[in-house]
Amino acid sequence: MKTTEIAIIGAGPAGLSCAVEAAKAGAKVTLLDENLKPGGQLFKQIHKFFGSREHQAGTRGFRIGEQLLKETEELGVEVLLNAAVYGIYENKTLAYVKDGKDHALRAERIVIAAGASENALSFPGCTLPGVMGAGAAQTMINVHRVLPGKKILMVGSGNVGLIVSYQLMQAGAEVKALIEAAPQIGGYGVHAAKIRRAGVPIYVSTTIKEALGTEAVEGVVIHSLDEKWQPIPGTERTLDVDTICLAVGLSPLTELAWMAGCEFTFIPPLGGHVPIHDENMETTLPGIYVAGDITGVEEASSAMEEGRLAGVASAESLGYYDEDTAKRLKDEIWQRLNSLRTGPFGEGRFKAKIKQLQARRQLA
Amino acid sequence: MQTSDVVIIGGGVVGCSIAYHLGKRGIPTHVIEKDDIAMGTSGACDKAVLLQSKNPGIHLELALKSVKMFPELQKSLDTDIEFLNHGCMIVIQNENQWKVMEGFVERQKKLGLDVKLLDKNEARDRQPALSEDILGSTYSPMDCEANPIYLTLGLYRGAKKHGVKFSLGTKVTGIKLEKGRIKSVETDSGEILCKYVVNATGVYAPTIGRMVGLNIPIVPRRGQIIITEPVPKLIHGGLNCARYITAKFRPELLGTDEMAKLGVGLALGQTENGNLLIGGTREFVGFNKTTTHKALKAILKHAASIVPAIKNVHVIRSFAGLRPYTPDGLPILGEVPEVPGFIMAAGHEGDGIALSAITGRIISEVIADGKPSDDLNIDMTKLSLDRFKNVDVNEFRESHNCYSFAS
Ligand SMILES: Cc1cc2nc3c(=O)[nH]c(=O)nc-3n(C[C@H](O)[C@H](O)[C@H](O)COP(=O)(O)OP(=O)(O)OC[C@H]3O[C@@H](n4cnc5c(N)ncnc54)[C@H](O)[C@@H]3O)c2cc1C
Ligand SMILES: Cc1cc2nc3c(=O)[nH]c(=O)nc-3n(C[C@H](O)[C@H](O)[C@H](O)COP(=O)(O)OP(=O)(O)OC[C@H]3O[C@@H](n4cnc5c(N)ncnc54)[C@H](O)[C@@H]3O)c2cc1C
Repeated sequence: MKTTEIAIIGAGPAGLSCAVEAAKAGAKVTLLDENLKPGGQLFKQIHKFFGSREHQAGTRGFRIGEQLLKETEELGVEVLLNAAVYGIYENKTLAYVKDGKDHALRAERIVIAAGASENALSFPGCTLPGVMGAGAAQTMINVHRVLPGKKILMVGSGNVGLIVSYQLMQAGAEVKALIEAAPQIGGYGVHAAKIRRAGVPIYVSTTIKEALGTEAVEGVVIHSLDEKWQPIPGTERTLDVDTICLAVGLSPLTELAWMAGCEFTFIPPLGGHVPIHDENMETTLPGIYVAGDITGVEEASSAMEEGRLAGVASAESLGYYDEDTAKRLKDEIWQRLNSLRTGPFGEGRFKAKIKQLQARRQLA
Repeated sequence: MQTSDVVIIGGGVVGCSIAYHLGKRGIPTHVIEKDDIAMGTSGACDKAVLLQSKNPGIHLELALKSVKMFPELQKSLDTDIEFLNHGCMIVIQNENQWKVMEGFVERQKKLGLDVKLLDKNEARDRQPALSEDILGSTYSPMDCEANPIYLTLGLYRGAKKHGVKFSLGTKVTGIKLEKGRIKSVETDSGEILCKYVVNATGVYAPTIGRMVGLNIPIVPRRGQIIITEPVPKLIHGGLNCARYITAKFRPELLGTDEMAKLGVGLALGQTENGNLLIGGTREFVGFNKTTTHKALKAILKHAASIVPAIKNVHVIRSFAGLRPYTPDGLPILGEVPEVPGFIMAAGHEGDGIALSAITGRIISEVIADGKPSDDLNIDMTKLSLDRFKNVDVNEFRESHNCYSFAS
């Protein structure tokens, strides 16, 4: 059976950063991703990143991905692409399908950095072709250069909804409206202002009633909500759209961690059920680590820091760092992580992450 | 304090079937289940109500009687238990298997089972998906299937309708005796006075047995199963293989390779939706309910050697369940004389779905009338706990990798 020291599942910002850090320490690293190209969400992020300077704010997401990829290559990380991991079995053995064949890989440490998946909404007509996740639409335009539709309704005003709306316009689509069920816009003001300036109406306290069409989306009916989130009769409005993009949050992709037997805790601000981990990103199963959106949906910058943390800690546990060096490196990362989790948007996540760590201590 | 004539421990298919029969007879009954209905083995198994897989003898006799009761259940329960009588084939892959199956079939016929051997062409006519490399098969039109979860649920609802009480999410923690007789059952939410306790806890039966000083020879025998995406009609009726029969009754004859160690034998069926259910293994690994990569690969490889089209179907899920296994593969049924009022109804191995109906009837008659009715004509000594009096239970447990009692 194929073996390695550290196997990392998912080559997004968390997985790539983890690979770089662990390989730098000297460990033999194998990175697996189901896609044909590594980078996770990064390669569709053509916009300039927000955040602090030390987290490359102002740099476009895909450039960060290119930089990380270059480093993994230079450090000799083994990257297995088109390799979907479908199970974690006894003795830290991963099973994956690559190029249509079944393979097994036995590792001494496993880092799960599988990211998150988009949430869906159910409404009459939600299974019609033309209803899709906003992230999927973003992959179509920015990675595959295919326009998913010409007339778009965006549902959800978080950063994903705002950014993808703008990028769809840049790609040549018309965004008819952006609707939000809450009474206020969810994402950053700068992003919202940008699409307002471009003439896209944003309707708050509004949701979808139904999608129209028989073979594909031919229109949509929206209606307003009262303070109790109940539809107000008579407020229905029909919009002429051929595509409905859903940007209604992400949920951690936790199946592999459940299957391995990691213990979980429920923290809604992080996306629901998240694996419990300690300050080293190690789960309740010795030698199995998690990093990035799977531990709670945040951002690429925090995903990268968590990846580095898991990289340093897993390398340390294999003897590649002495305790003092590892502690110094981990302290530095934690400082950066804490500074990322500040401000009006970071504060809630900071508290949620503390809860997650507390759950670990309570178990111990 | 609550009181009830009978307390049944376990809300699996066996406990619910007994509850249903007792309810119909109007006997005050209370079922205690630590999790939920069909959360144990009855929710992690296949759907076969098979006759061909039963050893000619009391095993097959019980199954024949049980299967006869299913059409009535399908009619009288409010839940559709998806009972179907569509026959089953047991595929034969080589000469050795042919010889063994020939004898098996002969003995089964004598007990009244309608079963015959088919040559390769006859088998492939009946089941076109079969590989060209098989030698033949058996076929019985009498074999059936039922949805195990709906069956358990249907019996639970039926029992409730007849006045049986259920406490779900409630765990039995002890049993009190008075002058050697059953007095009450203690649970994590109170005590229930009763005359009879029925131990219908499947693989957990030894833990309950210890509460009254009995050492019950039941160990978990793990079975792993694979579910595929839905595909157009591929498998007609049930499909097993001769290795399955050997793995069940004489695993030592399978040899010593990896497939043999895992006890791989084919149990294949297709659901209404089109998903294939591909089983399975027979392994002694204590209470470990996880699946293993090795076993899943072995199951698929073996299945594809019989139905090659399986190679092109996507797997979407896998799971494992624990069969309650006794030294002779037969269930333990009936009152235990050393502990008057304590009634065993566990150890159905891979046959609990098929045997649930007859078990419900037997145990309800033991409680209501003191013994099963004469027209059933069942030799209860062959099913008693007493038949294992010369078995070294601790040795049996340890030699089957069972070193602990489930809590
Ligand atoms: C529209 C949008 C805009 C964003 N903008 C910003 C921003 O401006 N700034 C910022 O900091 N963050 C931003 N983010 C968030 C950021 O992209 C994510 O937080 C980050 O990508 C999470 O990194 P990750 O490595 O945990 O997961 P991902 O990037 O999702 O990577 C996970 C990878 O694992 C693979 N994978 C999953 N399961 C398996 C498996 N079983 N086998 C093999 N491979 C598997 C996936 O295919 C994927 O490639 C944005 C997100 C979106 C959707
Ligand atoms: C892979 C596999 C395939 C199978 N295929 C078939 C098939 O095709 N046909 C067939 O006939 N059979 C099949 N079987 C066998 C069948 O599933 C079992 O024989 C049957 O389910 C056993 O039922 P039971 O009610 O005895 O046990 P269970 O369903 O396990 O019920 C016992 C219950 O007792 C409860 N319990 C335990 N301890 C306590 C306590 N202290 N307090 C309260 N409650 C407690 C448990 O929670 C559990 O719900 C298969 C089994 C497996 C594993």
